[in-house]
Amino acid sequence: MRRAATIVAAAIGFGASSVGAYQLALAPVETSAHWREIAWPFPRDGWPAGRAFRCDGACAGTELYVRAKLGFCNCDRGVADDDEVDRVADLDLISPRFVATAPGEAVRVGELHGRGRHYGLDMLDGARHAAIGIALSRRCDLLVAVAQNAGEAMAARSAALEFLETPEMKRWMIAALDGR
Amino acid sequence: MFRRVQLAACLVLFACSSVHAQRQQVIGAPPEASNMKLVGYNDLQARSAYQPTIHHQGDRWIAYIGHHGGTEDVPSPVNPLTGQAEPNGTSIVDVTDPAHPKYLRHLPGQEGKYESGGAQMVRVCDGKSLPKGDANAVYLLRTFGSEAHEIWNVADPANPVLITRIGGLKDTHKSWWECDTGIAYLVSGAPDWRTRRMTQVYDLGDPAHPQKIRDFGLPGQEPGATGAVPTELHGPISTGPTGNRIYFGYGTNKGGILQIVDREKLLSGPKEPTADNLRYPEISRLPMSAFNGAHTTFPMLDMPVAEFGEDKDGRMRDIVMIVDEAILNECGEARQMVWFADVTTETRPMMISSYTVPEASGQFCQRGGRFGSHSSNESMAPVYYKKMAFIAFFNAGVRALDIRDPYHPKEVGYFIPAITQATDKRCIPVEGGERCKVAIQTNNVETDDRGYIYIVDRANTGLHILELTGPARAVAGLPKN
Repeated sequence: MRRAATIVAAAIGFGASSVGAYQLALAPVETSAHWREIAWPFPRDGWPAGRAFRCDGACAGTELYVRAKLGFCNCDRGVADDDEVDRVADLDLISPRFVATAPGEAVRVGELHGRGRHYGLDMLDGARHAAIGIALSRRCDLLVAVAQNAGEAMAARSAALEFLETPEMKRWMIAALDGR
Repeated sequence: MFRRVQLAACLVLFACSSVHAQRQQVIGAPPEASNMKLVGYNDLQARSAYQPTIHHQGDRWIAYIGHHGGTEDVPSPVNPLTGQAEPNGTSIVDVTDPAHPKYLRHLPGQEGKYESGGAQMVRVCDGKSLPKGDANAVYLLRTFGSEAHEIWNVADPANPVLITRIGGLKDTHKSWWECDTGIAYLVSGAPDWRTRRMTQVYDLGDPAHPQKIRDFGLPGQEPGATGAVPTELHGPISTGPTGNRIYFGYGTNKGGILQIVDREKLLSGPKEPTADNLRYPEISRLPMSAFNGAHTTFPMLDMPVAEFGEDKDGRMRDIVMIVDEAILNECGEARQMVWFADVTTETRPMMISSYTVPEASGQFCQRGGRFGSHSSNESMAPVYYKKMAFIAFFNAGVRALDIRDPYHPKEVGYFIPAITQATDKRCIPVEGGERCKVAIQTNNVETDDRGYIYIVDRANTGLHILELTGPARAVAGLPKN
């Protein structure tokens, strides 16, 4: 009887710890950096939803969308050029009408390398938004982020990169690339 | 009482783990098969394989097999014929006697690992069928890694001679070559296009002097375009001047598109790559789910459908079989499978049926490597055309489908090769590292006019030559064996 109870207790404990780990992975990031997690605002597409944030602090009005895209053919070359950023960085979720406003540049977030590029987006309501699209690779997988606001792209860029560099976000990005 | 319960629980757990152990492939275990059997085998020098093309050359049958680049562990396997380490390229195998295939030559490809090297694609045309070819030549069109297309004269398949090279590309893939006209639809990455893979149309009727006709792709992929970039090309299949259609498949495992194009308009229409000019030859598109891509778009036009035989209209249907490509190991994505589209009314193509291997029939998500479809045979020889299709399904081997009623395709056979010492591992990330398993990864399949079925392995296991047995032979109208 005691053995059976032990097994049951262990099983419940294992299950509970699994649930705990899952909740921990998805727990909202601390808002001390003035980023507040919001619901993923886009309809379902080929990749599972990621995480979305809105900045309430110095970068007020900026929104950031981050997700993993597992399975990517350039396993060795990584994010090869700016065209790659145009294709994969999820800008089309915000608006299919976007134009790069400058050549991209190399970006590094933690151990992930890739490229980032500035864009202008024509929104459906006629407004013009600024955005930074970021594509980072790890072997055959991608981590993409796009930050946008109605103002100036540089503000969105520095705030977004700073946020992505926080330990919580780096942990989450690695977990997402691991498929967890 | 509780001891008995514990004992029963242990037995159940043991039984479950045994089932899993049984499903995991082990070296020395026999292949798994139904209505298909092994005729012959070659290890292809343990090189990861992509496209096989089987060519009837004089009184010989020659298999030309494209390879991906090498692996992390073995970037350039040793060619036993030369004793040299050679980057993966093209294997040339005499399969005249399918029970005893003879490896003739390895033609090295581009250095690089996996998709970044090798020479994945092969097509073959006789010089005598091309408008301006050397009647004594046999031409092999192949990719050279991501940087070029090459044409070799393989009249003597053991001693190929390079004829020409079309280089300066950022990628290549699954091209198509019309052997009667010489028109080739080369899947390329033109440096100024916004996509890795688009179409460069060439006249290769005189293989020594390639003539560029035009570039082609989806509007938004062309140089100078802005905004969203449509899904990249995987490969086209043309029905030539008689059918006057080209079926382009876009996507791999996401956002697939079947595009139906008027061949004559493509070849003779305005060539400047503007959005309007790219739209001009398009007849229609069939957008697929965001979950699936289009690796192969195989046309089967004018198919009589027995079920519709008494109907006043619509007895014959134009069908395109669309095969998705699985790319993630251990079911890390939506299921990639086979779709049948009725394109009889060309401007309103419609999906009518689908096929997948039942996962539970082999616990394929636990076996390791990719599970899902990759490609089909592309031979239009009468032996199987519009009757049977063969689908490479990675760790589920090759699957033989009865497609005589494309509204209700059904599986009539399969073959999952045994793994060998050469079979490479497939890994998934786990916390703090990765976990690997070894499983067959049947990547491509082709058939020859005699009815032999050739399957090749992405995980370095080699080439298996198969034939149908039992009731599956009757589907194709083959005599009993």
